[in-house]
Amino acid sequence: MPEEIHAIDCQTAVRQLWDYLDEELDDRRMSEVRQHLESCSHCLPHAEFGTRFIQALSSARERHEMPPDVRPQVMAALNEAGFSTD
Amino acid sequence: MLHSTADPGNSGPASRLGAQMTDRRHGGVSKDESFARDALPWMDDVYRFALALAREPADAQDIVQETYLRAYRSWHTFEEGSDCRRWLFTICRNAFLRSRQSTRLEVEVNDADAEAIASAREHRAMIEDGSDRVLASVDLGPALDRALAGLDAPFRSAVQLVDIEDQSYEAAAEILGVPIGTVRSRLFRARRQMQQKLRAHALDAGLGHHSAEGHRDA
Repeated sequence: MPEEIHAIDCQTAVRQLWDYLDEELDDRRMSEVRQHLESCSHCLPHAEFGTRFIQALSSARERHEMPPDVRPQVMAALNEAGFSTD
Repeated sequence: MLHSTADPGNSGPASRLGAQMTDRRHGGVSKDESFARDALPWMDDVYRFALALAREPADAQDIVQETYLRAYRSWHTFEEGSDCRRWLFTICRNAFLRSRQSTRLEVEVNDADAEAIASAREHRAMIEDGSDRVLASVDLGPALDRALAGLDAPFRSAVQLVDIEDQSYEAAAEILGVPIGTVRSRLFRARRQMQQKLRAHALDAGLGHHSAEGHRDA
């Protein structure tokens, strides 16, 4: 039997907002926060901001590339330690 | 726990059996072949994490090299099918701590809920002064990079693992050797501090208007 979804207030929703955006809540709490955001004009902008903030942060993957000389140097050290795929 | 203990230290007897040793745990291929297949593709990710910890590219390079050497020597302890990237991140973090001759980097923040509420309050202030437009600006990436670089290492590593390397709270906790609650607290405080820095950047760039209260730095 599915767990009952309770209405939550703004403070509870905001307290759980980062967990919700990171999908770290259990199913029931995910549903509670989602339901609250769908009907709360006060909290929804916080969720939208949080989503954009996290998306912008995740794009750092593309900005922080490993310099091209690192891999050859690591491979040389590994080869010295006995690594070989020949 | 999905995989065996990471980074047991210097090379053990099993790792000295030779590069062509075939190990049942690695699908019948040689140690070196499985290492090349499972560990080497994550070098860029390990470098990003090392850079987040060490800040200096030269230091990050040394840590990546140390990480891979330790991983290679300890490869017999890695269970095929488990999360190799998480395993490498754990070794990387330990290599960083050793490089700083420090056993732990602990800055405890215990109230994640309060941080989450403070973050929403900060966002409310950004809406009111118009600085929330920074998320649509073209120089957001560099501004975020500066904000991230300005965080203390424990906070920076939490952001790096969860927000950039897409690790779960549980995985980040295992890599960093701290409870999940600590990861959550550090992550939320880090995000709030970055929000504050972004707000300051936005106001300085003319996005939004300074209120009578002004803006605060973290």
